[in-house]
Amino acid sequence: MSEVDMAVIKPEMMKSYIWLQTADGSIQQVEQEVAMFCPMICHEVIQKGMGSSKNYAISLPQRVNPAMLSLILDYCRFHQVPGRSNKERKSFDEKFIRMDTKRLCELTSAADSLQLKPLVDLTSRALARIIEGKSPEEIREIFHLPDDLTEEEKLEPLKNTTDDPRIRLLNRLYAKKRKELKERQKLKNIEVEEERVDDRSVDDLLSFINGDNGDSKGIKNSKSKKKNRRRKDQQKNTSANEAIKNHNKEPNGLNQVCCSAEVGQTVRAGVGATSNLHDVEDDIFDNKNELDDGDIDDEIDPALKEKIDREVEDFARRLNSDWPERMQEILSFGHERKPVHFSLNGNGSLRRYANSEQR
Amino acid sequence: MRNRKAINTNNEDITNILPEECISYILSLTSPADVCRSKLVSPVFRSAADSDTIWGKFLPSDCYDIISNASSSSSSKLLTSSMSKTQLYFHLCKNPIIIDNGTMSFGLDKATGKKCYMLGARRLSISWANTPRYWRWKRVPESRFSEVAELKEVWWLDVKGTIETKILSPNTTYVAYLVYKFSSSRYGFEKKPVDLHVELGESDAGRTFRIFLDPSANIPQFSREREDGWMEVKLGEFFNEHGDDGKATCSLREVDNYTPKKGLIIEGIDIRPKDSR
Repeated sequence: MSEVDMAVIKPEMMKSYIWLQTADGSIQQVEQEVAMFCPMICHEVIQKGMGSSKNYAISLPQRVNPAMLSLILDYCRFHQVPGRSNKERKSFDEKFIRMDTKRLCELTSAADSLQLKPLVDLTSRALARIIEGKSPEEIREIFHLPDDLTEEEKLEPLKNTTDDPRIRLLNRLYAKKRKELKERQKLKNIEVEEERVDDRSVDDLLSFINGDNGDSKGIKNSKSKKKNRRRKDQQKNTSANEAIKNHNKEPNGLNQVCCSAEVGQTVRAGVGATSNLHDVEDDIFDNKNELDDGDIDDEIDPALKEKIDREVEDFARRLNSDWPERMQEILSFGHERKPVHFSLNGNGSLRRYANSEQR
Repeated sequence: MRNRKAINTNNEDITNILPEECISYILSLTSPADVCRSKLVSPVFRSAADSDTIWGKFLPSDCYDIISNASSSSSSKLLTSSMSKTQLYFHLCKNPIIIDNGTMSFGLDKATGKKCYMLGARRLSISWANTPRYWRWKRVPESRFSEVAELKEVWWLDVKGTIETKILSPNTTYVAYLVYKFSSSRYGFEKKPVDLHVELGESDAGRTFRIFLDPSANIPQFSREREDGWMEVKLGEFFNEHGDDGKATCSLREVDNYTPKKGLIIEGIDIRPKDSR
């Protein structure tokens, strides 16, 4: 029978066929329900009335060669049957995609041009699994790609990868530079803030500096004042903490006791706690005996005094408002009789010079 | 999808077989790390890897909701609304945005696209933090938050932060870090170790580690320097499955009452996926 006759006998055979033509010119007929599974073919048939006979065969996109068409039709033939279970379909799919990488790519491309999304997903996922975790070199090997990125192009995407140690080092250097700049800015801001510093603290500081260059009595004087004040406050704090320790260590409880301590209710403190505190303080201040409050000595010759005044001004200017801590550090150097010069490093720590040169 | 003409079907090169759109789709089924690596494969891959369909997929589904809740003072809100999905992804990886009234920051882990949060110091429960003689709040330029907490002196050091697991990415192991630095007057942390603790939900006892935050020589150092100049120490980790475990609680404590501590500056607690940078 000729092919034309076949078309006429169609109703008796209870089967319709769609005519498809691939780019190489060959034409074949495919069961209607199988072909219609592809949205692109479906569109051609319904919207344009194509595919009903050999002369009106649907031209398939160039990406669909006969081999690929055959594969796609196998896929459609299986899946268009409604009665299959999910397990069956999955099992079919797994076997179906077992092919070499190149065919997998061709199949993806062909399925894409026919708009057959389930097959595109299946093949794409398979390719994704192949790509995952591989280095660029390995990927090039698998897909037979030449290494044709320019050096510049290779560097640019590196900004987005986290692996390259060179770029990481560069970033770290940039971060350091930024940090330095910020610190410098911070120091500038501190100098501005200095004007608003409490007078009393600057005076104390000046007197301390003067005292230091005379004898160490000055140190102990101002320190001891602070020490006494601190001791009282810390007693309060310790009592509060002691009380908490005896009850539950709930943060809520802590806050409540804190409030009451501030209001002024004293809680009986363990003697042990207080004496521990004193020991600790002694360690910090490094000088235990002199507690007398006295006047600060001022017996320095004028030339030296001028020099000291300059240094004091410089020092005061650089100091931030956190001077009690600074004092501590100074005091730990306080053994020496000769004048020592201090200045602040960029990060706020003190630096001492043995000679009399200004920074 | 449009029909695309293959350039040269005889070539072995798959990029002549597959149109760029297909390559982009395939890449979107891998991971952010894989896509970044694939940029080094070939020019076509490089071009395919920059597609919004890929990075849009890697963004968390509630990403735009989170951004819309960003502090109105942050300029990043304006910036992010004009970005493509690709740009937004990389922006969030490098520049966490400040959300929730300036108390928290939100960003993405570049290799996986999972959510990262930092709880600012103001959001933490720090005992005595509102008593000026013990703690001080100050602005520093190198912090992403408007304020950091500086310890002047305290005996009871108790710093705690909590985060709702429902805002985290599912099926992820998260690690919590305390982000801090020491001022020059630090004291006490070389004498006494601190307790680091993380627990998940109501019923989890969690785990506690005890380490020296400021170890002397010969004692192991558990802290390390971050890229933004701060230090961080790991408080612990937890696994978030579906986000229905309630809150994760992370804390640092030293409460023996015999050692005063000074000079700790806290920026916050950073919570990010394990093995992220």
